[in-house]
Amino acid sequence: MVTLVAAGYGLTRYRSVAKTHQAVTVARKSLLGMLPTFVAVFGLVGLFQVFVPPSLVERWLGAGGGPFSLLVGALLGSVAAGPPAGAFPIAGSLIQAGAWMPAVAAFIVSWVLVGVVSLPFEGRVFGWRYALTRNGMSFLLAMLIGLAMGLLV
Amino acid sequence: MLQALRREVLLVAVAGLYLWAFVADSEGAVRALASGGRVFLSVVLIIVSVFGILGLFQVWVDKKKVAAHLGERAGLGTITLGAAFGTVLVGPVYVIFPLLFAIRAHGARWAVVTAILTAWAVKIPMVPLEVQFLGWRFSLARTVLTFIGAVVMGFLVEWLMTLGSPRILQATPNLIDAATGQEEQPVKGEPGAARIN
Repeated sequence: MVTLVAAGYGLTRYRSVAKTHQAVTVARKSLLGMLPTFVAVFGLVGLFQVFVPPSLVERWLGAGGGPFSLLVGALLGSVAAGPPAGAFPIAGSLIQAGAWMPAVAAFIVSWVLVGVVSLPFEGRVFGWRYALTRNGMSFLLAMLIGLAMGLLV
Repeated sequence: MLQALRREVLLVAVAGLYLWAFVADSEGAVRALASGGRVFLSVVLIIVSVFGILGLFQVWVDKKKVAAHLGERAGLGTITLGAAFGTVLVGPVYVIFPLLFAIRAHGARWAVVTAILTAWAVKIPMVPLEVQFLGWRFSLARTVLTFIGAVVMGFLVEWLMTLGSPRILQATPNLIDAATGQEEQPVKGEPGAARIN
């Protein structure tokens, strides 16, 4: 993986050295900027594995819950205010703890698509009608994608 | 200081949880820390790669050029193109939203804007991380479904937006300038600009 990315940088370097430097700078800055969040996310994954009993996950997000679990997954994703990269480790521990896969998929999709925290900003830029419509529809889409994932995977 | 705390609200919350865990069950807290650390070490190389890909995308995908293209016509083709653009789009919310508003102000339909915004959730650069934690079948299915969902959402949200009296949006040059100016922010490394959404 690292080799592939390095190769990508090597290849693009032929086109423009300056741009490659810029890419490295962007990558480094984003990585460093995200470091506190990653520490938090993996810290959370650890806490999760030790302190959250699978029975709890099973009850709220388990396959037995059906539509309820789907809704809980999408709701959790909506209020989660983290970078998308953080969604995957947490989703991984949810699955490990026995969560229903479609609920976890809904969780990831609503994590990236529905932003309760960024809603005021979206409303300011695009207008409230758009912000509310898009977020509402995205919430439904998250659950739909979750269901479809259950059939596909 | 307060601003830094607000920005890293997640870290502060997790630190608080650990504090509580240490008081309640110090042995468990240590195990949690070790377990989190193990998971982190197992994916650290992938995380570095993901950010390497992000850097490449950010620099080589010419946002302005594609944006100008998307404002022109708007059939299913343009909307699909918008969705494709969304999958490689990289940047934080406060860069992407104004950029999309600029595209909208250039005359792009709500459908195109929404398709880009929804496909932005596909996060192609993050796929390696997703595969590591959830498997490639999961990742592939989610990517494809989100992409299809982006096109459908485009039409659906546009339809909902034009119900009743359609709002006419005028191109405001100031906003376009502001949006395109902001686009360079991440390179300059503004405090929050380093975050990738």
